[in-house]
Amino acid sequence: MSPFWKWTIAVFLLLLLAAFVILSKLAGSPRDAYFMVRYALPHMHRGTLKVGDAAPDARLLALDGSTHFHIRERTGARPLVVIFGSYT
Amino acid sequence: MVQIYNDYKDHADFLTVYVREAHPTDEWEMKSNIKDDVCYAQPKTLAQRVAIANDFIKRFHYPINFGIDDMTNAANDAYAAWPERFYIIDESGRIAYRGGMGPFNYNPDEVRAWLAARYGAVAHPAAPPTPANPAAAPPSTQPVASLNPPK
Repeated sequence: MSPFWKWTIAVFLLLLLAAFVILSKLAGSPRDAYFMVRYALPHMHRGTLKVGDAAPDARLLALDGSTHFHIRERTGARPLVVIFGSYT
Repeated sequence: MVQIYNDYKDHADFLTVYVREAHPTDEWEMKSNIKDDVCYAQPKTLAQRVAIANDFIKRFHYPINFGIDDMTNAANDAYAAWPERFYIIDESGRIAYRGGMGPFNYNPDEVRAWLAARYGAVAHPAAPPTPANPAAAPPSTQPVASLNPPK
């Protein structure tokens, strides 16, 4: 292997290591950095909605596990504050 | 968030939408989940989502209307909701406010500010100093509970 490629690979690995260290710092630990890349990034997207766009509709299930309703059914009369989240 | 709901429920409607878990035991579980006894695997069925949502409601006596996203994650995808995010939809069905992606840009104060701009601010009197800690009075507004339990 030529010295050029050796240096290229070495620099690349060094940059990769630096990126992982920075991500670990941001995420809290190397473990969290790994999980962020493994589980969070594939599901993380900014979306295209912006203020002024028509609100998308979606069908939701009520807590009774059998009744369905649409987000659109809850809009119209007053502003609707929508809180997306999960338990964990 | 419950405090904001209590302050503005006479003016606006509120809807909580449960989307896929952020930190399930079989994915990116946090130490705080173990400490707070919030340990669930990522639901594989809608029935499992319903069960977890009901656990949440019961544990926190959560008063806000609740809907559960289906297993195609249609609501989540339409709103880029995961892991947590706020929206306000106005009376004409348009997005009036779009919050940042949680947890880093999840800001209930922005929701409160939007509602306050339209309906007026709701003041909370400062609680009196407690005998155990006479020097430090609690903040004038109660902590805002997000959908997630305290971490």
